[in-house]
Amino acid sequence: MLRRNATFLVISALTLCSAIAVALLRGMGAVWHALDATWDLILTVLPSIIGGLLLSAALRQLVPPGALARWMGAESGIRGLLVATAAGMAMPGGPVAAFPVVLVLAQAGADRGALIAFVLAWSLNGFQRIVVWELPILGADFALLRLICGLPLPVLAGLFARWLPIRWDPADAPGMQDRR
Amino acid sequence: MSFGVIAIWVVALGALGLCLRRSPAVGRRAVADAGTALWRVLPVMLMALPMAAFLAELIPAGWAERWLGPDSGFIGILLASVAGGAMPGGPFVAFPLVLGFLKAGAGPSQMVALISGWAILGLHRTLAWELPILGGRFIVVRLLASFSLPLLAGLAAELLLPLFPGVALR
Repeated sequence: MLRRNATFLVISALTLCSAIAVALLRGMGAVWHALDATWDLILTVLPSIIGGLLLSAALRQLVPPGALARWMGAESGIRGLLVATAAGMAMPGGPVAAFPVVLVLAQAGADRGALIAFVLAWSLNGFQRIVVWELPILGADFALLRLICGLPLPVLAGLFARWLPIRWDPADAPGMQDRR
Repeated sequence: MSFGVIAIWVVALGALGLCLRRSPAVGRRAVADAGTALWRVLPVMLMALPMAAFLAELIPAGWAERWLGPDSGFIGILLASVAGGAMPGGPFVAFPLVLGFLKAGAGPSQMVALISGWAILGLHRTLAWELPILGGRFIVVRLLASFSLPLLAGLAAELLLPLFPGVALR
């Protein structure tokens, strides 16, 4: 509880500092402009956040704990990281959908290496993002060069994460319920 | 209502339907869990979202051209990785920004590092989405495991660049 309040306070302080910096450097007009953009963003994303969290909670009731341990667990080796990478690249949607799905994978037995490979593959090489945004805006040559350079990174990050001696438990996640 | 929102809700309600078919209690538990998660996640998210808009106001005009040109080499790739991590917003903000930088004379491998830094480190996405849902401990592990990777992507792009003559300017 204390830790969650501390997070809230730190984030609030950071946002306040950036607001003050904008006010001093760019004037109050820029502050209102930014707040206006934020309000539009909140209205846009709120329905997806609620939908995403409902999806995550429902899937966690349906997928038995440990169901994916063999595929993405700590003992799954490189194959587990490759499976997680492929799943991440196929994962559609923005952060409101992807991070709740990470909770589902964690409960189903994926270890920290596989989860991190999943997050990186989604954010770096997500198929939908490349097709909808990168390809049309930056062109095929650039998108291909960028993809080739990004392709091995999720597996590398997964290997690093498994090698780091920092334990992570699904119960540490604020979005996870621990009463089961 | 965008297509993405509708898709999330269709799938979420489908999953809830499966829960309800198993038993009404399972369905109720799913809704209660979602409510608790929302209650925990929302306050941090709402405080973090304005940060992207404020940071966008602070980007000085012309910095990419000055610091991230094709000849800026390793220093440029390093700067681009860090700048990418600080770059706010979703793909609808980031990719048009990168296009603007490329047209204004930024180097392609520096832009590969910038996009990779944005996708991997993405300070703002980390604070607004990952922290409220997955917690600080997960972020520490993930950032320790991946903070050097945008550099790697930029250096790989520098090596591969001769194979992609069409990249420089469209």
